[in-house]
Amino acid sequence: MTWDGWDGFVLLWCAAWGGVALVGYGRSLAGMTEAQRTVRLTGRIERVREPRHGGSRKGGISVVVSYRDPVSGQEVTVTNDGERGEMITSAWKGREIEVSHPRDRPHAYRFSDTAAQPDRGTGLPNAAVFLAYAALVILVSVRQGWPWALIGFCGPWALLGIAYLPGAVRERTPRLSTLAAMDTTRGRIIAVLQDITVDQDDSHTSTTITPVVSFATREGTAVTAHCTSHLADPATAYGREVTVHHTSHNPVEFTLDRVAEHRSSTWDLALHVLMIVVLATAAVVGVALL
Amino acid sequence: MTITTGSPPTHDTPADLARGLVTGGVIGASVTAFVSGCVIEKTSLIVMGLLIAAVYALAFFLATLPRRAREAAVAPRTALAMIESLEAVGGESSDVPVQFDLTVAPDDSPAYRVEVRQDVNLVELADYRPRGIVVVEYPPDRPWKARIVRRPTPEWEQRAAGARLDSAPGPVMRSDPVQGWAGGLLTLLGLLLGTAAVLVPYRADLFGADASRAAPRPSVSSSSSTTTVTSATGTITLGPGRSMLGQNELRSSVESLTRGHRRQALSVVVQDRMLTVVFSPTGVRSTGFDPRSLPFDRVQPLVEEATTTLGVGSPHSWQLTADGLTGSVTLRIVVTGAAGTGTLEADGQGKVTRRSSS
Repeated sequence: MTWDGWDGFVLLWCAAWGGVALVGYGRSLAGMTEAQRTVRLTGRIERVREPRHGGSRKGGISVVVSYRDPVSGQEVTVTNDGERGEMITSAWKGREIEVSHPRDRPHAYRFSDTAAQPDRGTGLPNAAVFLAYAALVILVSVRQGWPWALIGFCGPWALLGIAYLPGAVRERTPRLSTLAAMDTTRGRIIAVLQDITVDQDDSHTSTTITPVVSFATREGTAVTAHCTSHLADPATAYGREVTVHHTSHNPVEFTLDRVAEHRSSTWDLALHVLMIVVLATAAVVGVALL
Repeated sequence: MTITTGSPPTHDTPADLARGLVTGGVIGASVTAFVSGCVIEKTSLIVMGLLIAAVYALAFFLATLPRRAREAAVAPRTALAMIESLEAVGGESSDVPVQFDLTVAPDDSPAYRVEVRQDVNLVELADYRPRGIVVVEYPPDRPWKARIVRRPTPEWEQRAAGARLDSAPGPVMRSDPVQGWAGGLLTLLGLLLGTAAVLVPYRADLFGADASRAAPRPSVSSSSSTTTVTSATGTITLGPGRSMLGQNELRSSVESLTRGHRRQALSVVVQDRMLTVVFSPTGVRSTGFDPRSLPFDRVQPLVEEATTTLGVGSPHSWQLTADGLTGSVTLRIVVTGAAGTGTLEADGQGKVTRRSSS
């Protein structure tokens, strides 16, 4: 089997994904994507139900949320039962949370734990462009030599990394200031959630441990949150008293170890720079080997 | 919007059976085409295997789109239900599948019985007891698709806490239709038909190649030529009075040696009445070339050129060797005469690249 026989297939692949991308961008421009047709509302957590020790993390922290229906003007009360979008991992009474649903289908509501920018629905066409581009790079690499693979794959990623570097540097400074200005309070591990999954093929069992911490802010807000890092021996942490550092205005940003968080922030930036260096070097090596 | 309540499917409908047959056929055909294409190194067959699966998946997606959109547009209703009985039906993870027999009591319609299966976390399993009250949701047009709400709103939680329900008489609706043996059998039949639909047209390529690799073919002799094909080589010796330089002799000889399989050759050696093809070992392709791609029309002029221009005197014999060891096909013609030996080399298109004599 020669590579020549695959050329048609690769070009067909590129044409198909190119078509998908064009249709996707067209729909986005016309405002017809599902993301653009989504109704976005602000809800408020009315009640936080305490997780049961030993239970599952699936579905996140159980909450009751109310929001005002823009059509009827009435207050609607819902819960995060079943598949309801993003998992809520930090909750307190009064927290604002995004509730979204497709137009004309309020019963298909979903929550968003983090406030995101309105989506233009270009995720699918972007993925289609990437698949077509990857196929083209492979085709060129096989025909013209493997250095093209280094250029084609590492070059754009290096450029993307460089483009995002100033933002990462800018974000680090306020992040460090936030860490330094955090309030400190006492908290308690009120539950350790345990999810056991069994691999159907080899019967391998894997267990996910998710401790849940509860703490009160200086203003008296009782926060319940999943706490998956900086806690030693999480499986036996039930009932343990811990020190919690959190930002006063947004308790979603909390940590049990400020120093580790500071270190992690530095490492993140270093890793970012290292990745750029590695990718750029690979692309340059590719050019040199042509 | 008017919502019509249907009746639950109790067994596989003809449409389900037909879909099972077609799905089995598509799986059989696509997998067989893909694997066969890899075995006989036929790109079109590999692509066909992938396309069959992709087109069927797309057609299935588009065909079910209206139904899914219709179902998604229906707002579910909430009701109280009483657990008649429950049974954990296995599971090794922290969520176990539980079979519930429920009496669902909607506010605005008669109570009904339904059997549903739902995963319940082990820690929460004790919350569900016979005669216990739970909150359920169901699509009004398909009440048998009821689902227990684990996290009801405070209003429904309060209603469930103080509610007392009576059992409804049967029949019990089931959310999952009973899988009959006919459905599985038809899917299997489709799988076999799909596999056969690909294997039968390509049986010669698939099994002919295997047969030639597995065991050497016996020699076939005729009045004009002798053919011997083994797993490693193929040789044809022409009968007296014929030459490989004759009209179409070389081309037809090569084709007769490679008929039924598409193996690459390591080298091709041609003498006046004899052709030998040394095949690449199975699975090794990097150094081989397709012997049918030789420039057959150029062989006779090249031999003639070698015998007349290299100054070897009256020639006694010639031999053409073609190999692809350097990546591209090279033809080497060695002529031996009274005055010495001459070599002429040409590329894969039959263009002379080097001449030498000694």
